[in-house]
Amino acid sequence: MKIRLGILFSRLRLEEKLIIEEAKRRQGVELIPLDSRKLVLRPDERPELDILLDREISQSRALHVLQILQNSGVECINRYDMVRICGDKVFTSKALHDAGVPTPEVKVAFTRESALSVMEKMGYPVVLKPVDGSWGRLIAKIESRNAAEAILEHKSYLSSYYHSIFYIQEYIHKPDRDIRAYVLGDETICATYRTSQSWLTNVARGGKAIECPVTPELHEICIQAAGAVGGGSMAVDLMETPDGYTVHEINCAMEFKGNMRAVDVNIPQRILDYCVERAMLKMEAMN
Amino acid sequence: MPLRLGILFSRIRLEEKLLIEAATKRGMEVVKVDSRHLVMGLNGSYNFDVLLERDVSHSRTVYSLNLFQGSGVKTVNSYDVALICGDKVATTKALEDAGVPSPEVRIAFTRETALQAIEEMGYPIVLKPVVGSWGRLLAKINDRDAAEALLEHKEHLGSYYHSIFYLQKFVEKPGRDIRAFIVGDETICAIYRTSGHWITNTARGGEASYCPVTTELEDLCHKSAQAVGGGVLAIDLMETADGMLVNEVNYTVEFRNSIDPTEVDIPARIIDYVIDVAKD
Repeated sequence: MKIRLGILFSRLRLEEKLIIEEAKRRQGVELIPLDSRKLVLRPDERPELDILLDREISQSRALHVLQILQNSGVECINRYDMVRICGDKVFTSKALHDAGVPTPEVKVAFTRESALSVMEKMGYPVVLKPVDGSWGRLIAKIESRNAAEAILEHKSYLSSYYHSIFYIQEYIHKPDRDIRAYVLGDETICATYRTSQSWLTNVARGGKAIECPVTPELHEICIQAAGAVGGGSMAVDLMETPDGYTVHEINCAMEFKGNMRAVDVNIPQRILDYCVERAMLKMEAMN
Repeated sequence: MPLRLGILFSRIRLEEKLLIEAATKRGMEVVKVDSRHLVMGLNGSYNFDVLLERDVSHSRTVYSLNLFQGSGVKTVNSYDVALICGDKVATTKALEDAGVPSPEVRIAFTRETALQAIEEMGYPIVLKPVVGSWGRLLAKINDRDAAEALLEHKEHLGSYYHSIFYLQKFVEKPGRDIRAFIVGDETICAIYRTSGHWITNTARGGEASYCPVTTELEDLCHKSAQAVGGGVLAIDLMETADGMLVNEVNYTVEFRNSIDPTEVDIPARIIDYVIDVAKD
């Protein structure tokens, strides 16, 4: 019997194309593409799927689909709780902190006024981040009170629900690079340094990727971080400080095209291996 | 030492005043936690034994409950309950999985699929924001023209959640629905909400009158409360020829219009429950 693998997506980026190609190559896998733009879900339906791989770029869509499919018994990569945590910087920071994973100091405020007053207390520079963003969008390094006032006011005009939660992070003085490590289950399959002239090193923003060796120390903190958010398939972002690594973000449904060229690991193939492994475990558990 | 009650709010409405009075009467020390002045770290220590969430903002409530609860504070309601009841998709799924009768629902993620699902389900359809209260932005859609116009308008609203289309089959109800108040394991009282409009929220002019808590009502409320995780809840139900349907489960419950018709001291009952949770 073939493993019925659903892939949830809304836009086919290179990543999704590579994962789909890989799935089509496999004899034991029946690929079921789920385009969220065409999807209508019913709470009472039992979908014909063994496993779902979430590659949806819209966090709200992903969460609502996972909420329904997982509760209907579909094994999901990643699980709803994990996506909920990783899709939100407050929840990620809290999970990392509670698990004892080194992570930058964070304060959370709910109005412009209290956000400003806590920034003044923490001292500049501080980093203000949307709780639910990606690709480095709307991340602000704030160096002064003037900047803080202007940015907070502009933020209050952004319409999204989430811009009323102020996530304020201490600024970490790091070398002009950070590290992105890819974790699947209990393995750190590869890592890259992301080097940039800008303090934002996202590859999507022009950061350059080169291979970073997965040392036992790096592996250990990645696995700890992965465990803190519930495990699965993810990219862990770390910074190097004089006191060791600090984990600042975890990404699920992660992009990898910019990093794939830098490492000698076939990431889509490994993701498919991981899906098959999880599906088999689930099927064994059910028998 | 008196029990210390933290009360999380951003506006003191009549409800919060009554709750504070009831807590003071029970000998509790009330610590007001104004979310507008609140700054939370990842691990805080707080000067109260239990927190009652009364903030009108769902996002503030969810985030602060996560951090309070994660720092070991007992909260009413819990973070999980707020997550489920604050989102209609999550509520509907929880009710469905627990076998609670509720209206037929579809969820779509684009204007096009929403329209197609509406056409398949048949009119009238109720389009609801997945996060929202007081009957705001609820739309009863009777025909395709209205569907097209509303879906387009909704797309321009901007908020994150307006891109999730929650479509509910319209239920014919007898000019009223029922709101029942659950505190812990008990359905403490219920009201009919009567209105000439299909939206019966008292915030929108619906009139409250006494509704007896029958065994059927109590069973259904108990099951619904369990399905979402329990606590202090208000359950909205509709009467149909085939029995009652559960429409919504609300947390951070408003109750000002329900005390007189039911003659139940709702704030006192809530505070008694909070004391039980604190001592548990």
